[in-house]
Amino acid sequence: MVYDLVIVGGGPAGVAAGVYAARKKIRTVLITDSFGGQSLVSADVQNWIGVKSISGFDLAKALEDHLRAQEGVEILDSDRVSKIEKIGVGFRLATDQGKILEVKTVLLATGSSRKKLGVPGEKEFEGRGVVYCSTCDAPIFKNMTVAVVGGGNAGLEAVNDLLPYAKKIYLLQRSGALKGDPEMQDKIKANSKVEIILNADTKEVFGDEILKGLRYLDGTSGQKKELDLSGVFVEIGIVPNSALVKDLVSINQKGEIVTDPKTQATSEKGIWAAGDVTDGLYRQNNISAGDSVKAVLNIYDFLNKKK
Amino acid sequence: MSVKIYTTPSCVYCRMAKDFFAQHKIAYEELNVASDDKAREEMVRKSHQLGVPVIDVNGEIFVGFNKLAIAKALHL
Repeated sequence: MVYDLVIVGGGPAGVAAGVYAARKKIRTVLITDSFGGQSLVSADVQNWIGVKSISGFDLAKALEDHLRAQEGVEILDSDRVSKIEKIGVGFRLATDQGKILEVKTVLLATGSSRKKLGVPGEKEFEGRGVVYCSTCDAPIFKNMTVAVVGGGNAGLEAVNDLLPYAKKIYLLQRSGALKGDPEMQDKIKANSKVEIILNADTKEVFGDEILKGLRYLDGTSGQKKELDLSGVFVEIGIVPNSALVKDLVSINQKGEIVTDPKTQATSEKGIWAAGDVTDGLYRQNNISAGDSVKAVLNIYDFLNKKK
Repeated sequence: MSVKIYTTPSCVYCRMAKDFFAQHKIAYEELNVASDDKAREEMVRKSHQLGVPVIDVNGEIFVGFNKLAIAKALHL
């Protein structure tokens, strides 16, 4: 059987698409390894329209429940799309769990992932001191010395998560000034546990069985310096998850999928994209959901014209 | 069957794992490594991990919550 539409992703964009596709009776399959997108780990989301306050976990559950309440949308969870290729009727997809699907149209709602440092030792010590979820793991570093890499809002929030637990927190920023929210900056600067190091270019993390420290180039003095640490919290931004279609659709220098803002269509006929994987200007749950609805309505028109 | 899960109160992947256990009626022991220093040391010793969740299924250690891997270990 050939599906009319495959939705790739289970964040706000993917789920919004699933709900609208069901209402339009488009024969749809949605593939995701988890629901909720990046907000899953947020302690409190206060700008999801219609809800004053909701945890990322509960938001993810609400999205999943809403999708599962739809008739006619097949859901492949705990799975990921590993390959998309063009065929006569549209596209053929392969998944990590070994499924092969044929579809007429594709909606990419793959979002973005945390950017890695890309330095020696990072991969080796991931989970052994290198941390990407400060909300999850900050309490483990009670009475330890840690570093947060990244001086934007995410970095400042990681420092804030660590304040009740860590003994000492270095905040490393590559440029000459912190970038995040001024109010949070003031709070952090006022705390004697925190030492801010500007112009610090992280070069390596090292250790034995677990992490022992970090080496950085101090741009101020030009010297290589070393910090003894139990944890390194990496908070340097996000990268769009567009690798899956890098040979199929047009992608900009930032790795974002280029889309038509009216329809969310990509450069390849039959493929649409919505949410944080696209070149849309703003990264917001509500925008991802809205853009995705646009995409599904346009896909509906496209499928009807084809008939 | 012995299932232990090392958690922190703020870790959503831990909640997902616990929901999964509840859904499949799997009895488990939860150890909060944010408040229990002994449990934290035990987790680090067993797994060399400084991250939660760590899940111990009959001595087999899983880092993070991978639903398929856990389901397999629990013969679900």
